[in-house]
Amino acid sequence: MTKTYRVADSEKRVLCGMDLDLDAGGITVILGRSGCGKTTFLRIVAGLESYDSGTVRLDGDIRTGIVFQEPRLMPWLNVRKNILFGLRKTQVDEAHFAELIRMTGLEGYEKARPSQLSGGMQQRVALARALAYRASYLLMDEPFAALDYFTRQTMQQELLRIHRETSMGVLFVTHSIEEALILGDRIVILDQGRVAEIFEIRNQPYPRDLLSGDMIEIQRNIIKRIKGDSKL
Amino acid sequence: MKRTYSRLLKTAIVLAALLLLWQLACASGRWSTYVLPTPGKVWKSFWKMTQTGVLAEHILVSMGRVLTGFVIAFALAFVLAVAASVKEGFEEYYGTVLEFMRNVPPLSLIALLILWFGIGETSKIIIIVLASFFPMFLNIRKGLSACDRKLLEVGQAYGFSRMRSFFRIVLPYAAPDILVGMRIGLGYSWRAIIGAEMIAAGSGLGYLILDAQQMSRSDKVIAGIFVIGIVGVLCDKAFSFLMKKVTRGGVEDSWS
Repeated sequence: MTKTYRVADSEKRVLCGMDLDLDAGGITVILGRSGCGKTTFLRIVAGLESYDSGTVRLDGDIRTGIVFQEPRLMPWLNVRKNILFGLRKTQVDEAHFAELIRMTGLEGYEKARPSQLSGGMQQRVALARALAYRASYLLMDEPFAALDYFTRQTMQQELLRIHRETSMGVLFVTHSIEEALILGDRIVILDQGRVAEIFEIRNQPYPRDLLSGDMIEIQRNIIKRIKGDSKL
Repeated sequence: MKRTYSRLLKTAIVLAALLLLWQLACASGRWSTYVLPTPGKVWKSFWKMTQTGVLAEHILVSMGRVLTGFVIAFALAFVLAVAASVKEGFEEYYGTVLEFMRNVPPLSLIALLILWFGIGETSKIIIIVLASFFPMFLNIRKGLSACDRKLLEVGQAYGFSRMRSFFRIVLPYAAPDILVGMRIGLGYSWRAIIGAEMIAAGSGLGYLILDAQQMSRSDKVIAGIFVIGIVGVLCDKAFSFLMKKVTRGGVEDSWS
């Protein structure tokens, strides 16, 4: 199963002539320096940003959920209500909710308020909110960037596990090469609003050992590619 | 709980000191009892009014006016503030007029109000509405327009309509400001009661004070002032207590 999105935006020159097909079942990581247009691209796919020219094509049954860089929880709602925020009362499915709470490790925190949770926990709630919406495609904008090293590692493993359990597609924006290598099926290097190169690493099994020979080789190529761009 | 008691104690100490000072000033004999009636005399006329039930009646009448005016002012303020936030540019129509009205003291309108609406309840209610409308309107508008764009985007990402976005994000976000506006508005309503009851009222706390003034009963004037202050404080306490119950700590940081 493949789904296709196409985006082109030359007016603002944030994205110019960007053209990318996304795989609806895999984890596509967009990697690039800040200002390369990766967040803009994700926001366009999410429908939060308008664009001057080009098209975004979503297949009919695709439902996108988004996790922002900040948790963006409603401070006046508890964890449960935040997770169910995108749903109407009639759409609430208790079994699914219980499953999400287990999946994101939030058992016992249903009644807590966002201000009582750590940053990592808040980001889990944000993730659960996107999942509760029964999104079939998850858009993630540097969701773990503000977390400390160990929390980030845990969250990355959780994301991989959830991806395995639900087989939903993920578009993941990051500026960390390491994170891209841990998560991605496919790493798209973005530069000046264009796809500079795509690394297919589907054949590398999870969990990934970044110190294995293959991975170091890929990492070297990515760094070369990004550095090469900076010389231009 | 311990802090509540300690606060009560501190309040009691200050009140006792003020009362003592008052008593001493009276005992010094520098002022006539007309200018400064003794605490005992004030208490006596207060007690007499309480016993005859006159005081309770005045309180109820005033409270009815204050609440009527307050509710009308809140409804107006809320509707206009929502209109201003829903449709940017709408405010350009009435903004200047509102700004003008805000700078006109309601009391200066008494003469006109009597001419137009007579000396009945309408004029009194209008005074209260004018006095309490602006703090509520400004606070509600501020709360509604200050909504965090980042939270609005969450609604957008989940396909919320404007209506749903308003009720689920904008309104709860503005709740603390709306409540603060209501609380200030309630205070202003009480303060306007004297002005409102200067319009040929036959009852009410404002009437009580003005009538006592005409009768040269400064002890009754002071008793009336105390009652207005105490009822106002109790109203405010009851209001904030209710709001705390309703909002369950969601806005606890901005509410005391």
